[in-house]
Amino acid sequence: MPADVFDSAACALAVTGEDGTILKANARFGDWLGFSTAELCARRFQDLLTMGGRIFHQTHLAPMLRMHGSITEVKLDILHRDGHKVTVLLNGNKRVQADTVVYDLALFGTTDRDKYERELLNARNLAEALLQEKTATELALQNAQAELNAAYAISQRRAVFAEQMMAIVSHDLKNPLTAIRMASDFLSRSERTAKERQLLGHIGQSSERAQRMIADLLDFTQARVGHGIVIKAAPLDLHHVIQRAVEELRVAFPKATLLHCAEGSGQACLDADRVQQIIGNLVANSVAYGDLQEPITITSHLGDNAGAVSVHNHGAPIPQALLEGLFEPMTRGTDQGSDVRSVGLGLYIVRELAKVHGGDVAVNSCAAAGTTFTVTFQNT
Amino acid sequence: MDLRHRNNVNVMGNGTSTLVFSHGFGCNQAMWNDLVPAFLKHFRVVLYDLVGAGLSDLSAFDKTRYATLDGYARDLNEIIDAYAEGPVILVGHSVSAMIGTLADRLAPGRIAAHVMIGPSPRYIDDEGYIGGFKRSDIDELLDTLDSNYLGWSSAMAPVIMGAPEQPALSDALTDSFCRTEPEIAKHFARVTFTSDNRQDVIGLATPVLILQSSDDLIAPVAVGEYLHRVLPNSTYCLVDNVGHCPHMSAPQACAAAMHGFLARWTATRAG
Repeated sequence: MPADVFDSAACALAVTGEDGTILKANARFGDWLGFSTAELCARRFQDLLTMGGRIFHQTHLAPMLRMHGSITEVKLDILHRDGHKVTVLLNGNKRVQADTVVYDLALFGTTDRDKYERELLNARNLAEALLQEKTATELALQNAQAELNAAYAISQRRAVFAEQMMAIVSHDLKNPLTAIRMASDFLSRSERTAKERQLLGHIGQSSERAQRMIADLLDFTQARVGHGIVIKAAPLDLHHVIQRAVEELRVAFPKATLLHCAEGSGQACLDADRVQQIIGNLVANSVAYGDLQEPITITSHLGDNAGAVSVHNHGAPIPQALLEGLFEPMTRGTDQGSDVRSVGLGLYIVRELAKVHGGDVAVNSCAAAGTTFTVTFQNT
Repeated sequence: MDLRHRNNVNVMGNGTSTLVFSHGFGCNQAMWNDLVPAFLKHFRVVLYDLVGAGLSDLSAFDKTRYATLDGYARDLNEIIDAYAEGPVILVGHSVSAMIGTLADRLAPGRIAAHVMIGPSPRYIDDEGYIGGFKRSDIDELLDTLDSNYLGWSSAMAPVIMGAPEQPALSDALTDSFCRTEPEIAKHFARVTFTSDNRQDVIGLATPVLILQSSDDLIAPVAVGEYLHRVLPNSTYCLVDNVGHCPHMSAPQACAAAMHGFLARWTATRAG
């Protein structure tokens, strides 16, 4: 290569010996680093690098040049005479010249490209850090989810245990209560003073109330942990069944005025005892929450394919917030806990009973019209 | 565990003693190509790649196992147990000289002798000790490795071009020479250059041949002399060479020094 072409090449060029000593360098190389070419020729190429670059040269570049005979596009920082770094891309080639090995080196400035690559590198590192963070968060979330699942499983087991317990206790309470009722019935058959009669009346009413509560509890546990509530449906005269139920309820709730209204005619195939239980629960509900100055109306309705019974009372409406969960167990239509007749299972059982009859229950409650619970049945 | 696959183990040569060659940071077992032929007649020779380098199984790389040089030392002992026959002489370049020292400490008596080429027990200067580097130099190296990330990242890195004038070397191993997965390279660089194995070498009684380059940036003469002082059973041999890889740039001188040191193990071979 003519000397002027060598010196004015658009890149820095050098030839080094096997140990890196610069044998020949072009003027551009000297210009870039602030050395004269004579000064460069007294040095070894690797000594021009930053310390990190020198280690890289010793551990990677020198062995690779020796083994492969070439390297390309290696990015290195070279130190200018005044100490600042010049970032270059290095290509190198091994050449045998008169039995000695020399290396031809070409260096290209890459300052702007280097900046861009560093930006890419930073972006990549940032992305990796974020990914790690995301992975850690996901792991934490997974652990939290697992803990939650474990806690849920425990609470499920506890709930089932509690419900089974309730089933056993309710069942076991039935016999002593029956004994109490039978004994008080037996006692009231004899001659009694007015005071004794009053006390026996209290015993009878209280044990009847307790029996209803236990019946509710048993139905509840059967619906929840057992095989569901079992019914024995048979063709019946709905109006008559309701009429009889209302008469009995009048005795149970002497302070309330109960009206029965029969609409339509036709057949119904239902479990009479359960229909009575439904009406009992709904009327007890109306007595507990309704305005007893106004009558409570029980309507039995028969249509072509469906039947319905409804219970209506006047008084303050059920708050909107409570309507949605009204038929869930342990829900009460009010906070007045004092004289309610059950533990909040009545409406839940009404709905379960309606469902096993192939029907459902709905409620309509407003200040103007009062509150109406309507249970619909399939007639078939 | 398939060691052959994990460490790309290659066994060759014939002899009653075994030479295990362990390469240094940056390259792979191909760096022994010019030195190994001198020993094939008298020794069983085992070559391998450190996990993460060369054609080792990259999936076996685990930052926890290889968080310190001990992980590599355990690998080395496994390879010795599986492939060595008779007395074992470890030929370790650079960081592998320390990996060999740790392997020796982990299983005393298993390694009969060490040939340490360009060894250094600590690269960073310390009080009363000159390693040759400052902490910031190592950070700069990591930066340089990072800078060459783009070039090294793809499966067939363009850094290495073919070697048409050396067709014999153009196999897979030489193709992968000095090409390491960037994250692993950085990890290994950090583990290597921040290690301090002075307490492990001091007093090691196993015979050691120290092959010290007369001009070596990575392992300066002062470090070789330090090792000679603290290794009670060491032979110090200064090789006239510029650079950190005398076994590549001065293989005859290295082989000659090794033959002298290894004579006691070649003499016992069956006539």
